[in-house]
Amino acid sequence: MKPMARRTVHRVFGWGVLAAGAAAAAHLGLLSGESWGRSWANGADFIGRMFPPDPSSLGTLVGSLFQTIEIAFAGTLIGFVVSVPLGCLADRSLFGPAVAVPARVLIGAVRSVPSIIYGLIAVVVVGLGAKAGVIAVAAYTVGYLAKFYYETFEAADPEVVEALRGVGAGRLQVFWHGVLPETANQVLSQLIFMFEYNVRASTIMGFVGAGGIGYYMMGYAQMLQYRSLMTALLLTFAVVVVVDAVSFRVRKSFSYAVGRKS
Amino acid sequence: MTRRPASTPAEIAAEQVSFAYPGCPRVLDGAALSAVSGSVTMIVGRSGSGKTTLLKLLQGLLKPSGGSVRRSAATVTSYIPQGLGLVRNHTALQNVLAGSLARVGALRSVLGAFPAPVMCEARALLDRVGLAHKEHEVAGNLSGGERQRVAIARCLLRRPDFVLADEFVSQLDAVTSLEMLELVRQTAASGIGWIITTHDLDVAAGSADRVVALKNGRVVFDHARPVRVGELLEKIQ
Repeated sequence: MKPMARRTVHRVFGWGVLAAGAAAAAHLGLLSGESWGRSWANGADFIGRMFPPDPSSLGTLVGSLFQTIEIAFAGTLIGFVVSVPLGCLADRSLFGPAVAVPARVLIGAVRSVPSIIYGLIAVVVVGLGAKAGVIAVAAYTVGYLAKFYYETFEAADPEVVEALRGVGAGRLQVFWHGVLPETANQVLSQLIFMFEYNVRASTIMGFVGAGGIGYYMMGYAQMLQYRSLMTALLLTFAVVVVVDAVSFRVRKSFSYAVGRKS
Repeated sequence: MTRRPASTPAEIAAEQVSFAYPGCPRVLDGAALSAVSGSVTMIVGRSGSGKTTLLKLLQGLLKPSGGSVRRSAATVTSYIPQGLGLVRNHTALQNVLAGSLARVGALRSVLGAFPAPVMCEARALLDRVGLAHKEHEVAGNLSGGERQRVAIARCLLRRPDFVLADEFVSQLDAVTSLEMLELVRQTAASGIGWIITTHDLDVAAGSADRVVALKNGRVVFDHARPVRVGELLEKIQ
């Protein structure tokens, strides 16, 4: 296609996407000025009722927030223990398509379910409480971490794999003595990132009764105790900021741990 | 496995091997090469002539699409890739111990429970290549020559009949290169066969017992020493 014709196609495509977006917005009522006016008024009223935050609920919330972190930690750890071997099996360069493809389909299937649905299922299976939250977070972690891991393992230096195969190592040995240590920094970095993500994801587990601070958030919202809800949100925000900062520093230290001198 | 008498040298041969990577023209087209343990064979040729592929076929990392690779009974080979394939954040000793993985069981090696004799042998090999003092240094912090020595020790721990080394001395400075070649000669004298690919015609002509030249996937020169550099250059151009 000539450059001129290609530019015209791109332009038509761009305008088409914009028009489709505008049509969707109109269909969903997003272009109604009256509707937006009401929403702004409701929003302002809602935010007004959230202040000042209620410090009397702090005692309850700190305990439940600690439980949220515990759920994230335990769920991430269990997910990690499952993800490493599953990611290894899904590595095509180690196990070939006969094993890797079914492993990838399984990982994809696990990943396709949102964490909140895992929470609902776990509550039905093991009952209300933190145990359900841990199971849900672990399942959700496997879906993502195993995918991160097989992509990381496949990107490992192929010469390390060749060198170990070249001294007669079996597949498991190649993985354990070559691929895993070679990618250890990324593996740990992704694990910490997943924990950071799961701290946020665990908050919502309480909405379906799977333990943690989310349970109280839901309760405060339903009972119109917006000032206590604000306290819970601020507390969660503070913890997420701290976990993000610590996680960033730890991941950075892993990224530069090896290979300073070559 | 059939045992080969200790006094009989091991043999390895590529017999009219052909190979093409998927969707690419043939890299090797009926190449033939044979070597016996205790000798140093060097394969020379321009980039893309098929040297690395021939080495990988001999090692069994690739399967030939035509021809075959023949080995005498119970012949053991070790392979050193061009970039050496060391695990950067493992220590020199850990990298050397990888050479024992074929004889240490999978479970035992995963648990890190290497038998004491294997540990002793690995340390002795590090000592032999002059790196006993760097046992606990991570490979990522070693110099190019030191990494090369670790790769040799890893290969030797497998107790191979042949070491197949890709572009073994091409990236080293002149002094380190000479040290490596001296190590090759010492181990060859103890019965290990070396098959080394190199771009350096002077090294091949000066250090190999036999030189094989590849051009467009075919062997165009196969001669025992003495070999003239001019003749090699003429063949591969």
